[in-house]
Amino acid sequence: MNVNDKTLQALASGMKFREMRQEMISSNVANAETPGYKAKRLDFEKALARALDVDGQMGMKVEDGQHYDVGNGGFENLEPEVYEDPNGVVNESGNTVNREDEMARMAQNKIMYDALVQLTNKKLGMKKYILNSER
Amino acid sequence: MIKTYNQMQNTLKSANMKNWNKSVELGNRIDFRNSPLENPGQVDGGKTFGEFLTDSISKVNDMQHQANVSMEKLASGESKNLHETMLAVEKADIAFRTMNQVRSKVLDAYKEIMKMQV
Amino acid sequence: MDLLKSMKISSSGLAANRKRIEAISSNIANAQTTRTAEGGPYRRKEVAFGSEPARDNFADVLEGEIDAHAQKVHATEVVSTNEPPILKYDPTHPDANADGYVAMPNINVMKEMADMISAQRAYEANISAINTSKSMAMKALEIGR
Repeated sequence: MNVNDKTLQALASGMKFREMRQEMISSNVANAETPGYKAKRLDFEKALARALDVDGQMGMKVEDGQHYDVGNGGFENLEPEVYEDPNGVVNESGNTVNREDEMARMAQNKIMYDALVQLTNKKLGMKKYILNSER
Repeated sequence: MIKTYNQMQNTLKSANMKNWNKSVELGNRIDFRNSPLENPGQVDGGKTFGEFLTDSISKVNDMQHQANVSMEKLASGESKNLHETMLAVEKADIAFRTMNQVRSKVLDAYKEIMKMQV
Repeated sequence: MDLLKSMKISSSGLAANRKRIEAISSNIANAQTTRTAEGGPYRRKEVAFGSEPARDNFADVLEGEIDAHAQKVHATEVVSTNEPPILKYDPTHPDANADGYVAMPNINVMKEMADMISAQRAYEANISAINTSKSMAMKALEIGR
């Protein structure tokens, strides 16, 4: 059983991106009244799904033996996508932050983050269990 | 561990055929040849205990793999089913721990048998 | 590091909203003030918000792209507005001018109360954001325990 298997890496990457998302949401909430500020979003789902390639569907295949293998990039250099929300409703001061929306996103982000932490604990606990059962 | 068990089971299987048939020659009173007991290892519709164990282990492995896949999907946001993922992980965990216990028990049984003086 | 930065961002929001509440309280308290040190009636104070990149020092700048996007907020300045005072007819008032009119501050107390509630909600939202960030960091500490 690989100590650093793909699932653990996936969980760790998920946690890192959710932390970044929390930073973005905090920024949105703090700037909810700043004129001209547009709400920002952070997307990591596509990049992470491609790196994980769970079903083997998204990889790129090499046709000729002499072509370099593109690979899926691994987990080290995954970059999230930060952009301004295009669907924001602009109020009279040029601000597009909807505070209730941001709070809902924050709650959901937190729940998923907690879930990832719990799953990581579960996996690590399983490995420790195997180590502890002698015989 | 599987190999040991298969060996045990093969020994048991080969040992009993001759004895049942012998009692037939002893007087035709009880005919064991055509009864299901003739091949006691295969009572359960064609599966031996060894095969049963192998199947169970591969099922546990499948459940682990399933749990891994659902965790990866949750991390990447592909699946929003938090409860399903948690259930799958718990099931895989319990199945694995059960299998570990079974392994311990089988090892104990084996040690018991080996301790027997013939 | 990201979560600590989140808390800094949220605390900047707290500070900005606190300044806003200060300005609003000042407005409400002085809604009837006709005599100030600068002469003339009290002028309504307002706080302007501005966002700035959440970078404190060069180490943060080196840290990466994400810092370019997350924004702190700060209350840039407390300004006295230039709205004309309301002239009220009250000859018996000590500050009445020659025609009997008193210049009252152009403060609508109802509007100030509404602003105050809005500032309070903003403050609470930032508190909630800080709590969430803190809670996430504590959860991460429990990995493997």
